[in-house]
Amino acid sequence: MNLNGLLERSERGADGTMGRFMTTATKPPSVWYLNPYFHLGLNCVLMAASELLLKVGATEQSGIAAPEWLKGTGLTTLGSWWTIGGIAVYILAFVNWLYVLRWIALNLAYLVTSSVQVLIALGAWLLLGEEISRLRWGGIALITAGILFCAQSSSRAEEKL
Amino acid sequence: MTPLTVGLILLSQLAQVAGQVLLKHGMSQVGKTPRRAGPLLWGLGGGIALLTAWFGLWMGLMQKLDLSQLYPFTGLSPVLMVLAAGLFLRERADWRTWLGVALITAGTVLVAFSVPAGSH
Repeated sequence: MNLNGLLERSERGADGTMGRFMTTATKPPSVWYLNPYFHLGLNCVLMAASELLLKVGATEQSGIAAPEWLKGTGLTTLGSWWTIGGIAVYILAFVNWLYVLRWIALNLAYLVTSSVQVLIALGAWLLLGEEISRLRWGGIALITAGILFCAQSSSRAEEKL
Repeated sequence: MTPLTVGLILLSQLAQVAGQVLLKHGMSQVGKTPRRAGPLLWGLGGGIALLTAWFGLWMGLMQKLDLSQLYPFTGLSPVLMVLAAGLFLRERADWRTWLGVALITAGTVLVAFSVPAGSH
């Protein structure tokens, strides 16, 4: 069952042809700040930044006096500006992600966002002073290698077009 | 880990994958003429609803389970995402993509095992 096939069929007229006015913008804007790959990279940085901000906010608010059930909902973490900032960056990242999806195939875009795990680990190490074990460095190296293979696969596909 | 817990984990992963596929379907309508708001709104609305369901399920699971138990399952999502993109969006994946997916999944599992037991 192919959802896309069904949807495409429903887009066509009764005679099976595309409508006369059916055109698709196939090329993204050429200016660098609207480049979809720039935005994909930006998305990874924003997602990692948001996680780190939320972590700082949650840690800052963990010591405050509040009933346990209220702490369990996570709502008490909203008392920190770090948390508010983390949520703001998260929303920004979502809008940015929609722009990425407008132009880039979901499989490539999603696989590249695996680099968020690497960026979070590096950020936690450099900015928050968390330790990274040898096992985790190994995992980070595998993820990075995997993303490079996926990116290479996609660039070859584009060359053929 | 009970079968119910494993089922909930798989359900949360499926919700995430389906949510992203719908978002992509919605956004691929942008810039097409004639403009059709239906698929765009259904894609974005459905995508956001499913991603919200994923987030809720995932937060609930994180309260019950250790991160070191839960985190290895996130390695499944790249595999499911490439499969779903191929099935529903007709996105192609060659051997390099699959090799990349295998490396990312293996790396995610390694990172997961490096999370100290008992941490949430």
